[in-house]
Amino acid sequence: MPVRTCRPYGHPAPTTFEPEDTTSMRRLALIVTAAALCAGLTGFAVLEHTADPPGPPAPLAAPGSGDSGSGARGGARTIDAVVAELQAGLRRQPVDAPGWAQLGSAYVEQARLAVDPTLYPKSESALRRSLALQPQHNTAALTGMAGLANARHRFAQARTWADKAVADDPYAWQPYGALNDALTQLGDDRAAQDAVQHMLDLHPSTESFTRASYTLELHGRTTEAAQALQRALDDASSPADVAFCQHYLGELAFNTGHPQQALDHYRRALAADPTYTASLAGSARAEAALGRTDRAVTDYRTAIARVPQPQYVLEYGELLQSLGRVGEARTEYGVLQAEQKLFAANGVVDDLNLGQYQADHGDPKLAVTLLTAEWNRRHSVLVADALGWALHRAGRDAEALPLARQADRLGWRDALLRYHRGVIEQSLGDTASARTDLAGALAANPYFSPLRAPDARTRLARLQGQR
Amino acid sequence: MTLRRKPAAIGRWKSAALLLALSTAVAGAALAGPGAGVGQASSHREAPLIASDPQVDNTDLYAFSSPDKSDTVTLVANWYPFQEPNGGPNFYPFATDAHYDINIDSQGTGKPDLTYRWTFRNEDRRDDKTFLYNNGVVNNLTDPTLLFRQHYTLQEIRAGHRPVTLVEDAIAAPSNVGKASMPDYGRLRSQATRQLPGGGRTVASQAADPFFLDLRIFDLLYGGNLSETGHNTLNGYNVNTVAIQVPKSALAYRGNAGRNPVIGVWSSTERRTMRLSPGKSTATGPYVQVSRLGNPLVNEAIVPAGLKNAFNALPPSADHDQPKLVAKVLDPEVPKLIQSIYGIPAPATPRKDLQEIFLTGIAKAAGGPLAVDLNSQLLNKDIDKRRFVPAEELRLNMSTPVTASPNRLGVLSGDFQGFPNGRRLGDDVVDIAIQVLEGATPGHLVQALAAGDGVNGPGRPFTGGFPYIALPFTNAVNQAG
Repeated sequence: MPVRTCRPYGHPAPTTFEPEDTTSMRRLALIVTAAALCAGLTGFAVLEHTADPPGPPAPLAAPGSGDSGSGARGGARTIDAVVAELQAGLRRQPVDAPGWAQLGSAYVEQARLAVDPTLYPKSESALRRSLALQPQHNTAALTGMAGLANARHRFAQARTWADKAVADDPYAWQPYGALNDALTQLGDDRAAQDAVQHMLDLHPSTESFTRASYTLELHGRTTEAAQALQRALDDASSPADVAFCQHYLGELAFNTGHPQQALDHYRRALAADPTYTASLAGSARAEAALGRTDRAVTDYRTAIARVPQPQYVLEYGELLQSLGRVGEARTEYGVLQAEQKLFAANGVVDDLNLGQYQADHGDPKLAVTLLTAEWNRRHSVLVADALGWALHRAGRDAEALPLARQADRLGWRDALLRYHRGVIEQSLGDTASARTDLAGALAANPYFSPLRAPDARTRLARLQGQR
Repeated sequence: MTLRRKPAAIGRWKSAALLLALSTAVAGAALAGPGAGVGQASSHREAPLIASDPQVDNTDLYAFSSPDKSDTVTLVANWYPFQEPNGGPNFYPFATDAHYDINIDSQGTGKPDLTYRWTFRNEDRRDDKTFLYNNGVVNNLTDPTLLFRQHYTLQEIRAGHRPVTLVEDAIAAPSNVGKASMPDYGRLRSQATRQLPGGGRTVASQAADPFFLDLRIFDLLYGGNLSETGHNTLNGYNVNTVAIQVPKSALAYRGNAGRNPVIGVWSSTERRTMRLSPGKSTATGPYVQVSRLGNPLVNEAIVPAGLKNAFNALPPSADHDQPKLVAKVLDPEVPKLIQSIYGIPAPATPRKDLQEIFLTGIAKAAGGPLAVDLNSQLLNKDIDKRRFVPAEELRLNMSTPVTASPNRLGVLSGDFQGFPNGRRLGDDVVDIAIQVLEGATPGHLVQALAAGDGVNGPGRPFTGGFPYIALPFTNAVNQAG
């Protein structure tokens, strides 16, 4: 239980903020207050999320009539509405094992959309209650536990739960999604592909097509990944799902060097679901790539004020840094470190993000320690890349290169990955490879990072001068 | 409050309502899916979790002798429940990567002898210029003011024959935008109704949801004291519907409705999947069945949670190979729940009567306790009875005369043209199903539950001619504030 992090409203946890940054202070106060809700959760306490004052940061709002371009509204509810219905039903009928299982999974979905990790302990309470009420043949709760474990980055646990769920009901498709997520993150590519194909064969739908898209993208098959997302979009029924598909179409466009197309997709995502903050942050990234930095700063600030997602905070900090606003950037990095603690306190194991952050902006040796731990847990291409980069930053380039090559094993066309490899090769004196990879990174996406892309250009110019 | 009064539409909404109370007889766990990665978008992909699939969510199926054209049968199937009128701007299209099927089993094999298949394509003239469905009044389906249309093709697929296209690229009646945009929706629906070669007609349209019930029935059966009834929870919502009216001879085995009057009917939805195998440039694969519906309420009230996915994925011909499914028909959970709450004794098991109603059809030859010849394919004279298998289908004896005064309780009230002999739009299947599960027989209702859910008909009356279902509602159910 994350009781240690819980603090009364108005008394935020000690942080590294600069005194003038009251906005961030208030923001973190909100998060920490939300964390206070996690204390002492058993039984009905898990139902009180929406009722407890002063409440967490505003979660996904239910769209009112006529306010959005949702693909479809009938028959598809917002996650908040689903949670409210389940809570009401469980108050009337508390021995409903499937109801508790669904509530547990709904909290994970709500946490995903609202970026509120304090929902995880509530989710776990609900799921365990379901399993206590119905220990046998409770596929929904087993799948929920798998989804929760994935959300907390406990991927090996997630695989175990998903395996149990699959064994419980071979016709259930949802467990294969959780299994695919876990196997992908564990780096078991072959089995991950089998899981998503099985899911597609049992139940082609937004959930399976979006997973197929990610698999294809990781293999460098971006056109097919976009096709899969388009199919997911065609089948999407809730505004949040429409936004999800448009958002990742935007991500694909951005990552292949098309920021204006990306911006169009992000805007369609926001038209479908104005609360879909990921696309606001995506817009900011695309705007920065297009040179509209004032707009980008505004959009990042709005996004972070709504959902203080660590990734947005990091991106924003790096944008500020690239603009020479170093003090402001440092403030954002401080917010990020505080957030990492909150996630950890709610059961999220995130040595990957923390390590990536430490490698670039903190202590590379600590980054190596964190990422070595992560590498020992799982061998995904993301971890290979991050550990390789951390080793480079710690001055251990000879060890870094094999990992950078591991990161390339699926064929993922990711500019940052390629940039990392190029820099490592350059450090090792392999200028030919470095030239190829740095040029490849910029060819894949010339806008891939406000800090790294200019650096790639500088390095490339120098390397070409050495010809 | 807006949107809050709607019951949770997670998967099949009726299932959702049921699982509020029927903790042991619950629906497929639509919410149970994977989600991953709060706060970690840079390190891995989180995927959507809520499996609400309304476009392919098949809610109701009807099969009845057409009251005004008694040499024909009308089949109606509904998808995409809980459509709030004024649900713009994109409204409620049929899926374009799906097969919408109504299947007919005239031999009792659990396999379709005939399938009517509707497929849809979009005609979208909006580009990115507007989100609007229409940019002016729509008086006709072909008016240029209607910017988004769906076209449909209807195929007739008979076992052992090449598919025949009955309707090619007709326009479906659109979602009803409202009175200002579509002042005469009935006209649009008439224009969307197409004649079939060899007699008959079909339409694809939005419609008022013809199903009626008080969902509170499933809240510990009317709040636990039988007092909270009488509110039609569905009133005001629309659905997507396909309807077809064909001569009885088109459906009967060997085209002979005199000798072979009984058919079994189920609807199903298939969606096209994709293949991840390397080197493919098109992201497509075979069609996969994602939902299936025969008798009303069977999926909700009888099929146990752990079998729902299998039930939806399998054809009726596989039902008798699912011993757990058969066991639940023989020993259902709802009567036990009613006994635990109201003390009304559950009928003795095994429930051979339910097996007859849901799996074999009612006939002396089926060997069950209902010693009546009503609606089993075993009554068809020309079939090979050795190939007959128990299968969950909505069974209709097409030779039962159309009654001038239908009774909403159907067979239970001595009206043998009603459910479970087929299903008419006005049959009160919730009241019938509860009575049947409690062991009622024609003329002998379980009096303690005789009032049912207090909802005895739809919010908007049916029409006198094809497709009989009412035109869609146009006023928002959930008003702001």
